[in-house]
Amino acid sequence: MTDILRLSIPLTAWLVAFSAVYGLQGVVCSERWAEAGLDLAAGRVALTMAWAAAAALQVACLLALRSPRLASRSAFVRRASLTLGITALVATLWTLLPVVATSLCL
Amino acid sequence: MNALRRHRALERIWAPRPGWRGKLTTVNNNDIGLMFLFLAVTFFVIGGILAMLIRAQLATPRSVFMEPGIYNQVFTMHGVIMMFLFAIPLFEGLTVYLLPKMLGTRDLAFPRLSAFGFWCYAFGGSLLIFSLLAGIAPDGGWFMYPPLSSTLGSPGINPDFWLLGITFVEISAISASVEIVVTVLLYRAPGMSLDKLPIFAWYMLVVAMMILTGFPPLILGSLLLELERAFGMPFFQADAGGDSILWQHLFWLFGHPEVYIIFLPAAGVVSTVLPVMARTTLLGYGWIVTAAISLGVLSFGIWVHHMYATGIPHMGLAFFSAASTLVAVPTGVQIFAWIGTLWKGRPEMHMPMLWILGFFATFVMGGLTGVMVAVVPFDWQAHDTYFVVAHLHYVLVGGFVFPMLAGLYYWLPHFTGRKRYFKLGTTAFWLVFLGFHGTFLLLHWAGLLGMRRRIDSIESGSGWELISLLASIGGFVMAIGFALVLIDVGVAVAVAVRGRRNPWRAGTLEWAMPAPSPSYNLASIPEVRSRNPLHDDPDLPVRIARGEGYLGDPASGLREILTVEIASGRPTSLVIFPTNTALPIVMAFVTGGIFVGMLIKAYWLVPLSLAGVAMLAIWWAWSLGSRKDQGLRPVGHGLVLPLASEVKRPPGWWGSLFLLLANGVFFGSLLFGYAFLWTVAPNWPPPAWLEPGLPGPLLALGGAALALGGIRLADRTLRRGTGPWLGLLAGLTGLAALGGAGVTVLTGTTPDAHAYDATLWVVAGYVVFHAALAGLMTVFLALRAAGGYLSSRRIGAARVVRLWTDYAVAAALLGLGAAWVPGVLT
Repeated sequence: MTDILRLSIPLTAWLVAFSAVYGLQGVVCSERWAEAGLDLAAGRVALTMAWAAAAALQVACLLALRSPRLASRSAFVRRASLTLGITALVATLWTLLPVVATSLCL
Repeated sequence: MNALRRHRALERIWAPRPGWRGKLTTVNNNDIGLMFLFLAVTFFVIGGILAMLIRAQLATPRSVFMEPGIYNQVFTMHGVIMMFLFAIPLFEGLTVYLLPKMLGTRDLAFPRLSAFGFWCYAFGGSLLIFSLLAGIAPDGGWFMYPPLSSTLGSPGINPDFWLLGITFVEISAISASVEIVVTVLLYRAPGMSLDKLPIFAWYMLVVAMMILTGFPPLILGSLLLELERAFGMPFFQADAGGDSILWQHLFWLFGHPEVYIIFLPAAGVVSTVLPVMARTTLLGYGWIVTAAISLGVLSFGIWVHHMYATGIPHMGLAFFSAASTLVAVPTGVQIFAWIGTLWKGRPEMHMPMLWILGFFATFVMGGLTGVMVAVVPFDWQAHDTYFVVAHLHYVLVGGFVFPMLAGLYYWLPHFTGRKRYFKLGTTAFWLVFLGFHGTFLLLHWAGLLGMRRRIDSIESGSGWELISLLASIGGFVMAIGFALVLIDVGVAVAVAVRGRRNPWRAGTLEWAMPAPSPSYNLASIPEVRSRNPLHDDPDLPVRIARGEGYLGDPASGLREILTVEIASGRPTSLVIFPTNTALPIVMAFVTGGIFVGMLIKAYWLVPLSLAGVAMLAIWWAWSLGSRKDQGLRPVGHGLVLPLASEVKRPPGWWGSLFLLLANGVFFGSLLFGYAFLWTVAPNWPPPAWLEPGLPGPLLALGGAALALGGIRLADRTLRRGTGPWLGLLAGLTGLAALGGAGVTVLTGTTPDAHAYDATLWVVAGYVVFHAALAGLMTVFLALRAAGGYLSSRRIGAARVVRLWTDYAVAAALLGLGAAWVPGVLT
């Protein structure tokens, strides 16, 4: 089961982070954000930090999958999990890039 | 014992009962798989006839062939049948039939669950077809957007058939997915480590996980919409704090992965068939596995791709546009791996290859228009036009139907044991291929000219008349082609000459048995050393038939099968499977009472059916296990293994784990809906937040501690060989307290007052239901302990109950916490 987890975790972490950042963007653009006394600049900072945290999580995941203690004993699973880890890191950087590149609530 | 005697002995053990009763009571994967396939093809024919009615209506301007109300039912049911009653059940059927054979085992993990899934599909599908014949079919489009589908837009019974019929059918998909995941992980030939899995098994593992995580949001959406329609709980009504966009989120959380759920099995067929046709091995096996996994997960990040026109802010659109373009990468990896496989091999042009080439041409075009609609400005122009209709048909027909027909012709000798003689199939291919492109290539053009989807007639002078007429002619040509495929297959089944085993000289294990396959599939279980065992050892089929593998001695008279360790494929336990029984069909029938009761508003039938299902489930589980420890049993080659009922994590534990995964996604979707409404919906905050008070939280916390501690105490005392009574009593008390905490929320809300109250009511109902379910399991465990079915070795049932209790506690704390937090904060 641990080998299946090694294969599943990187992209699942991407999906969770992606959905969470999308949810955060929804909160930032809602009336609740303003009611809490926060402005859109704070929202941009929060989103950028969330993106950085998601990328850091993926880097940590990749390092863990490479480490002798946590890597799979199967060469096939080791290679596949590293490929999926890199895919998840690229997906995190690419799909969440809009937090610094587009308007926030228009 | 010679091969013939072994065959006869195994047939006596594994075969269904003779006559028509055999079909109703069989739990064998060969029968269930073929029944799925036959029914799915029947629904395909019905869906195809509806498509022809649509094309007849749109062939000429201002057509009066059908009145608008009937047309709405026809196009809705065409989509519903093709997506829910044809595509998914077709690959389920193929998988149920093929997967055990490819994995080198004798059946799927839970044979009775296969049969239960099939009967739910048959009954649920029949319900939908009945609505069509009675003229009360769903008519709001296959994705049923409210408010059109709510009582405001559709006061009749039509949408209820969709909401309840589809949910009934989805039980079958969830059942099949649990089966597939547990089978791929545990039920394989010894030595078949993860890197030696047949590529089709990898694809189906990904697809099954996608179904377990993709279908629950739709089941939740259907439940919420049905509750709104039946009891006025305003989840999707803006004036009472609901939001119709919530439906779109829940639907497309299912709907976009659904496209890949349909495509990936077909890609699995291509990855299996193509190397055999090219007389080589698959290029980039590891890359294809990672591409399939990537595609499976990335496809969940695209659901808003279908909602670009709903007014979502630019940043949200950009997230999903980026994710949509990313999906093209793993798809491209697979396409290039297939092209590379052709390049390195010596392709032979047989019927399966013809359909695969048709797939390449069509699917690549559908994929490219997919990238076009992933780009937001283009999608705003093409949204809800025939361009999208053409794109989705290129993806679904090109990406699913064509590869499945390749698979049909590839495995036809396996299904029938016969060799195709007539050449009707080639004519059929060209009619389908040319007819398809004649229809849908042109419809891209109509869409770009502004032709809206779902219109029941076209106006003269619109500029779409000639395109629509030509598309209709193409549609009928395609239909003639599909009819010829059916005739070709029918002729092959009925009159073709006997063929030889493994006519394609393939390397995978499904060809290591006689064709058509015997009910037990493999006379003995082989040891596997590569991905193509038949290429390594051409004599393997003979040695299997001689009983030289594991479990080659049928003397026990039981349905015996092996489980293996997930990563290495090392044998771990011996499983004794249940025999033929009418329990699955009876249980599916009683389950149908829940849906029919809701449909005809005979609400008394719902709790009655639920009680019936619970009693049948107890009967189902009671028949398993033994009253004494069996110890280690010989399985051949000097190896001895424990029975699966005497290991800590039996297959039932794994099945529960993956069922709870689906259940957890359902609950997560509910909490997402709650958060969505709180954040985005108009008319919030509600008139009043729920005050938690003291009794509710105390009951929840105390109940959680007792439930968690109780089942652990019971587990520990069982391992020590003493009675689990105190632990079970504590656990039951804790679960009752948790249920009580949920009831405080139920009684504190007015479900039809505001979407907030309605949501809390569903959250609390979920908590009470799961506390009651875990409580029922605890009572069952106590009865099993009293009956002598549990011991320090036979502890698997206790582990299953512990899993469900832990889940009930986690759901209660999370759900009730979410319900109470706003009241505490304000």
